[in-house]
Amino acid sequence: MRIAVLSFAHVHAAAYIRLLRDHADVELVTADPDAPPGDPDRGPTLAERLGAPYAATLDEVFATPLDAAVITSENSRHRELVERAATAGAHVLCEKPLATTEADAQAIVAVCARAGVSLMTAYPVRFAPAFAALRAALEDGRLGRLVAVHGTNNGWNPARSRPWFGDRELAGGGAVMDHTVHLADLMDVLLGGEPAEEVYAQANTVLDADLGLDVETAGLVTVRYPSGVTAAVDCSWSQPAHHPTWGGLTLTCVGERGIVEFDAFPRLLGGFDETAGRDRWEPGGDDLDAAMLDEFLDACRTGRRPRPDGEAGLRTLRIVLAAYESLRRGQPAPLSADPLPDRTGGGASAEESGRRAFPVPPRGAVPD
Amino acid sequence: MAELDVALIGAGGIARIHLSAWTALGARVRVYAPDGRAPGLAREFGATAAGSPEEALRGATVVDVCTPTDTHREICLAAVAAGAHVLCEKPLALTTADAAHVAQAAAAAGVRLYPGHVVRFFPAYARLRDLVAGGALGRVAVARFTRTGCYPTWSPWFADPARSGGILVDQMIHDFDIARWLFGEVVRVHAHTAGHVTAPAPMGAVAAGTAVLTHAGGSVTQVVGVWAPEDTPFRTTFHIAGTGGTVSHDSLAAPGLRIVGGAGGGRADGIPAGDFGQSPYATQIREFAAAFSGRGPEPRVGAADGVEAVRIAEAAAESARTGRAVTIHRSGENEAIEENAA
Repeated sequence: MRIAVLSFAHVHAAAYIRLLRDHADVELVTADPDAPPGDPDRGPTLAERLGAPYAATLDEVFATPLDAAVITSENSRHRELVERAATAGAHVLCEKPLATTEADAQAIVAVCARAGVSLMTAYPVRFAPAFAALRAALEDGRLGRLVAVHGTNNGWNPARSRPWFGDRELAGGGAVMDHTVHLADLMDVLLGGEPAEEVYAQANTVLDADLGLDVETAGLVTVRYPSGVTAAVDCSWSQPAHHPTWGGLTLTCVGERGIVEFDAFPRLLGGFDETAGRDRWEPGGDDLDAAMLDEFLDACRTGRRPRPDGEAGLRTLRIVLAAYESLRRGQPAPLSADPLPDRTGGGASAEESGRRAFPVPPRGAVPD
Repeated sequence: MAELDVALIGAGGIARIHLSAWTALGARVRVYAPDGRAPGLAREFGATAAGSPEEALRGATVVDVCTPTDTHREICLAAVAAGAHVLCEKPLALTTADAAHVAQAAAAAGVRLYPGHVVRFFPAYARLRDLVAGGALGRVAVARFTRTGCYPTWSPWFADPARSGGILVDQMIHDFDIARWLFGEVVRVHAHTAGHVTAPAPMGAVAAGTAVLTHAGGSVTQVVGVWAPEDTPFRTTFHIAGTGGTVSHDSLAAPGLRIVGGAGGGRADGIPAGDFGQSPYATQIREFAAAFSGRGPEPRVGAADGVEAVRIAEAAAESARTGRAVTIHRSGENEAIEENAA
């Protein structure tokens, strides 16, 4: 299979490239046409460092038939690359969040449906074996009915290494956009794709205020589902910059017969690093990116629908969009009730998708 | 503290813990409970049992109210009328209006009223307060607190929202109080409850609550409370992130002593016994007793704190009921309480 990784804007691009590069039946090509010249972590420099074939232009990538594309551009630039890849007949694995607006996400789902290609949203955490065990415990009734869920996805502020994460136009928002979707996807699995009903969010810009970002760096999000389950989420970029590990993700499920705690990135080894003068932290867990790519490649080979698909990406994006609406209102906000896009029809155009403002409270602001 | 004559009202789980602490301080205690359990409890600790509330209150320097929440107002007011200082278990009352009324009555009568927000006396939380107040965390952005204990089915009133206020008011008020103590006044609350939130609660019932508090200074706090399935060990956790780093705690993570195997025995207890060393309940009562005797510094928690904790909990309960976020407006009553207390 000939597979392209398009854009290195997202920090995950390098991990995908390494994994695809080593796959026996994958012919990898990469391109990062918008790379800032001379950036050592972008463009031909990164490709060379990773030993990956590099194409200078998208035209060069698409001049040869392509089986699949992995889209790792800035969040708001997913759509243009997905449209290009799908139109060329390539299956698509799109980095999360699927898009930054409802219209763009609908257009992404629609173009892939129209082209008859698979669309997968890059949510790796659901591939953790421990999560599968949690899911099984819920499904076979051992936990009893699910009562409530609380979860955390905290991490380093990605805007420190990739400034666009702090740019509202390119990222669509800050910590709420970046992190809420991972936990929303786990809930999507546990609740069988039940769309959320309502979201409440509070956020602030206290952390990393010195970076002068125009997005929130900390947030608490409460998601309510029609079945009565509530998920309370801490999505903050609150992992200190000098912490030995990037962050983590946890999910605690309170069932009628037991409580289950899931840690997607458990600490394998602890101790103290005398050289660095800080805690030793050797991360454990499985390579979730590898498991996710295996799912994508299998779907590409067999033509079956990958999980999580584009609709899952759209459902989880809607939770985040409602969170921003809640931030604007200071009240819970209902989810968009728009039906999923017609699988043969077109979505809104890029022009229609417009620009959405995602205001966060100004620094130190006191809510009314 | 031999000069303290304490009227302990109630003979349930908290009353037993308080009685143990009062006894250790050398206070003379008379116990009254309408359910007939007072004589047995009193005998165990060498205290006396009173046959009526009037008999219990007569001549008491301190009234320690360890009864179901819906009775706090009446008993506290009777204690204040009798000229006694009051230690009232949390929540101070079921409603902000009642809590403020009791606090004002105490202030007007010139007696001290302290709500039993005992979590402020647990070492991890006391140290957390020192860290936050000392600036070790810098400016705090986001905090999480969880509190998990077995569903309190041992006494039927806990499950009854009309008597306890439910999980938000009875249990999660602990962390509401801590969050306000650490990060300042709360201006907005949003909360949900789920599971078994009505009376009666059978054995094996489960309830959960979640709340988001927005503080006037801009910090946000998430509180999760669980009344858990049987055999769930009591556990509290917190994680706070600020510009100066993070601090976290898990009450089960680093015990001073852990026993496993048959010798460990016993079912999970709904009331935390604390770690080894001084019980936080004893620390609390010693601090209050010193103030009641006029010899100690002002305790770390006062009547106005008790009122504000109820205000947050009541707003949370309203939010859970209406599905709306509730904006908290502090009226002037607490300034009056604080001035009188000062």
